[in-house]
Amino acid sequence: MIFRFWYFIRETFVSLWRNLSLTLAAILTVAISLALVGSSLLIREGADQATAQFQEGVEFIVFMNADALENQNEGIRKVLDTSPAIKEYVYVDKFAAYEEFRELFVDKPELVESVTPEIMPPSYRIVPSDPDADNVMELARQFSEQPGVKEVATATEAIRQIEDFSTRVSQALLLAAIVLVAVSAVLILNTVFTAISGRKTEIEVMKLVGATNWFIRIPFMLEGTIHGLMGAGLAVPALFVVDNKVLAYFQKSEAVPLFRGFAVPDGFVWNTSIWILVIGAAIGMIGSAFAVTRYLDV
Amino acid sequence: MIRFETVTKTYKGEVVALREASAEIQRGEFVFLVGPSGSGKSTFIRLINREEVPDAGKILVAGKDVSSLSSWKVPYLRRNIGYVFQDYKLLPKKTVTENVAFALEVIGRPRPIIKRQVPAILELVGLSRKADRLPEELSGGEQQRVSIARAFVNRPLILLADEPTGNLDPATSVGIMRLLDRINRSGTTVVMATHDRGIVDTMRRRVIELDRGILVRDESRGVYE
Repeated sequence: MIFRFWYFIRETFVSLWRNLSLTLAAILTVAISLALVGSSLLIREGADQATAQFQEGVEFIVFMNADALENQNEGIRKVLDTSPAIKEYVYVDKFAAYEEFRELFVDKPELVESVTPEIMPPSYRIVPSDPDADNVMELARQFSEQPGVKEVATATEAIRQIEDFSTRVSQALLLAAIVLVAVSAVLILNTVFTAISGRKTEIEVMKLVGATNWFIRIPFMLEGTIHGLMGAGLAVPALFVVDNKVLAYFQKSEAVPLFRGFAVPDGFVWNTSIWILVIGAAIGMIGSAFAVTRYLDV
Repeated sequence: MIRFETVTKTYKGEVVALREASAEIQRGEFVFLVGPSGSGKSTFIRLINREEVPDAGKILVAGKDVSSLSSWKVPYLRRNIGYVFQDYKLLPKKTVTENVAFALEVIGRPRPIIKRQVPAILELVGLSRKADRLPEELSGGEQQRVSIARAFVNRPLILLADEPTGNLDPATSVGIMRLLDRINRSGTTVVMATHDRGIVDTMRRRVIELDRGILVRDESRGVYE
């Protein structure tokens, strides 16, 4: 078995070297497309994290004092339940708030250490009947004057715009990425096909001396898989650049304090990287599998 | 060893390459396939190692019906059949040794066995001293010897040769025929398609003649005619 292993490795790399220019083109295309896939995932995750509290139509959040009295809460709830201006709301108690905080800052344990459920402000996440900005501001002002209310946070127009923007950017990136992934699979197919054509005699001899079909196919499939993996390998550092530069840029945003949360958990970039490598290998395997089944009639 | 039972093979439904051919070749026989171009000699050979599948009839090789052999078993059939081409089909970037070793490598033989068998077979074909040469540095006859070494290194039961002397001058051809004769005497069944009248008449072995796909003559110790 070990002899075969070295045979496959040798044949694969000889072939990669022979088709160097096509190989490089294939690897770079894979790298670019997977870098875009990864960036799209990072931006979407960042936006989700930053706007986690303002999802599903929630336009403003009423934060109560951590030590708000029960009758103060009653008062707020009564308004919320009866006012026609309120479509629906969710109450987040201090324990739920603490859980959410822990999830949001899972990679910053020292921050999590510093809080307890006791000091977390309970809050009401409110979906107004009319999401118009002026209306929301007016409602927010009214609630902020209620006893026991610490502050009211609104999803301002700025947040909405940035949210839309990040969604659009990540969708555009994803679309471009999908097209490029398809292009790179075709490019790998083409490279492997060229490798196959360059070794017609070799393959003919192999068939006639009784090499099994898989034995003939494996070096070509390995070649495609290596294209995919190397491309993915180049895309991974790009993800860290996106995390350190692009997302960091959002985090420094002075305009919208909430966007300081525009970050992904540390593990997320690594997890995405693993996915990128898996996708890269899969693109390579699929491309080369097409090539060997179509052109290698063994 | 090889049995054809009323084998018919047509290409693209019209060109008849072989029509109801029947023949039996015993273990250790040496058989010449003769006939003009397009008479079906190559098809006969290609049917034996399952490069082609017959449209009708049955072909038994070493007791197995190769016409109905499932495709994943074909490589294992071919490991028992050596194949020599008219144009040698050597790999130009590999040395003589590497070309021969290639045939063993790709069927997964362990390296120690390869290291033992390759020099031995090169000795047999008389190319020990040129083991490290590239094919382009060899004469046609030498290249054909390498090709025969590659076909025989795995000690197959059957050796198929399609016009092995077709590109060689008569003197060189004699050397190649001596080599094939020697391989035959070691017990290997040899089936050789040829146009070479001189060789067939000198060797006086069994001759099967094909004409437009029909087996018209089969005689032991025959001549070309």
